[in-house]
Amino acid sequence: MLGQKRRCASRAMLAVPLMLLMAVTAGAQVHLNVSKAFGQKVIVAVPLFELEGGTIVDAAAARDVIEFDLGHSGYFSIVENREFVDETEIDDRISGRIAFQEWSALGAEILVKGKIGGDLSEVYVEATIYDLAQGKAIFGRRYVGSREQWRDAVHNISDDIVFKLTGETGIAKTKIAFVSAVTGSKEVYVMDYDGENRRRVTRQDAIAISPDWFPGAEELAYTLIRESRQECRRASISGSGERLTAFPGLNAFVSPSPRGDEMLMSLSKDGNPEIYRLRADGSDPRRLTFGRSTESSPCWSPDGRRVAFVSDRAGVPQIYVMGASGGTPRRVTLQGNYNTSPDWSPKGELIVYTSRISGTFQICTVDVETGETIRLTSGAGQKEDPSWARDGRHVVYSVKQGGKTDLYMIDIYELEPVRLTSGAGDYLSPAWSD
Amino acid sequence: MRKNLALAACLFAVFAMLALSGCGSKEEVMADPTEDLGTTEDVGAISGDDLPLADVSDDTIYIEPASSVFADIYFEFDQYNILPQDEAVLQRIANWLRENDQVRVMIEGHCDERGTNEYNMALGEQRALAARRYLVGLGVGAARLGTVSYGEEQPLDPRSSEDAWSKNRRAHFVVSE
Repeated sequence: MLGQKRRCASRAMLAVPLMLLMAVTAGAQVHLNVSKAFGQKVIVAVPLFELEGGTIVDAAAARDVIEFDLGHSGYFSIVENREFVDETEIDDRISGRIAFQEWSALGAEILVKGKIGGDLSEVYVEATIYDLAQGKAIFGRRYVGSREQWRDAVHNISDDIVFKLTGETGIAKTKIAFVSAVTGSKEVYVMDYDGENRRRVTRQDAIAISPDWFPGAEELAYTLIRESRQECRRASISGSGERLTAFPGLNAFVSPSPRGDEMLMSLSKDGNPEIYRLRADGSDPRRLTFGRSTESSPCWSPDGRRVAFVSDRAGVPQIYVMGASGGTPRRVTLQGNYNTSPDWSPKGELIVYTSRISGTFQICTVDVETGETIRLTSGAGQKEDPSWARDGRHVVYSVKQGGKTDLYMIDIYELEPVRLTSGAGDYLSPAWSD
Repeated sequence: MRKNLALAACLFAVFAMLALSGCGSKEEVMADPTEDLGTTEDVGAISGDDLPLADVSDDTIYIEPASSVFADIYFEFDQYNILPQDEAVLQRIANWLRENDQVRVMIEGHCDERGTNEYNMALGEQRALAARRYLVGLGVGAARLGTVSYGEEQPLDPRSSEDAWSKNRRAHFVVSE
């Protein structure tokens, strides 16, 4: 129980969580045995967070965030009947103890009890996670930050729950970069992975395209088209930026390496669009492909030793893989006549890409080793620009339908698209941070 | 082989220009077949007595305004090869550029909305490069011809129709001194 309240004295942000309770389970790092793919989901009850101090933050919103996070993690399902959950929680608060059997009777296996409080300058969020079958707390966490950071605090708790209970890295703290033209010019924006906290990154008043993250979720590389020239730029989400390349012709499809010290691009400075590998500051371009076809959209394998890219050497765009220093490419997409926009899973051998199927762009994966192809999306609407989350399980992509483009994410094991954006304007070219 | 093609294209260019100008002020060019056909500036020194064009002075040749020369050229869906109907446009551009050798041109490649955003960025560059290669083949210095792809970012016609798409699949020429 969260009997005693410990205020974090430091106003330093959320980087250092305070552990309230140590894990009770003896030495076990992973509390539950949740299978990665199609395993049965663990059922979680999330009662309304307790409010302490001034009502700075909406306690109901905090619960919504944690339910969205856990419900879309792939490992958990949420007890749906909120009325019963709320009644049980009220009983708990009146009695001052946790009625484990009552919670279990709702079908729950895990209980997440949260508190949120603070004042205008500082907000804290804490949660204790209980194993209902054992009637024990598993762990507790508390995060402190500025008032605007309460969502980050809740996302942190979600990722802690995923990691403690499954051993997998969650995605609740990740961000998605995208392009929007709501101001009239195409600019790069960043939002939390759940579509909240949208903020503008670039102010170039031109055409920004194809953002991609450097490791660490603080900096992006992108291409800017301005006054009949392309350049590749780096932008920090705090607002600073600099030019990385401005070669004649194409300066496109920049892809920072997994270690962040290099990047891949397509350049046409030597007369034809080819794949080049450069230092992260844009210097020392080394050409990796040699031919007369169109080489575009390079991306790294997670170990940085291979490169996937698009080539029309067979007459139509297909996806190929080669060594990160070049060599003979091997074609990996063998179905369809228009396969573009590859992104390599951070967890292994799957490449996600856009495939034209019966005149409509759909999102597919192909296994680099086996060649097995799986289609993730269906139906009307042009789906483009897929990008993996760091869990190698979720993919974000854009869907153009009815003249408007929005971002969706999909769990490759569940295949139920979740819309992340709404409101005016188009949301294009998403890139998921690590 | 490629070199021969380029040379042939170059010669063809000159002959085509001579043919086009045959009935106008540049008749004198034909009078001296030993002239170096590689440079058109040589036709400038002509006697002015019977020039039919009032606004052309003795020692200048008539130069078309850039705006009427640099017409867009168009492409088939998903393709970047130069179409036969655009060869005359490129020919006129090459002629004009040879007569205006201080001018640089940025060639913009554009696509319709039907490809993926990402691949269209590569396709647009190939369209610009195809126009550039063609002009270089006609004798225009490669250093004067830049390329940039706009992908599908700047359609001329934003509608979703065959008519709009065919207008949007284009190379556009931007002239700068």
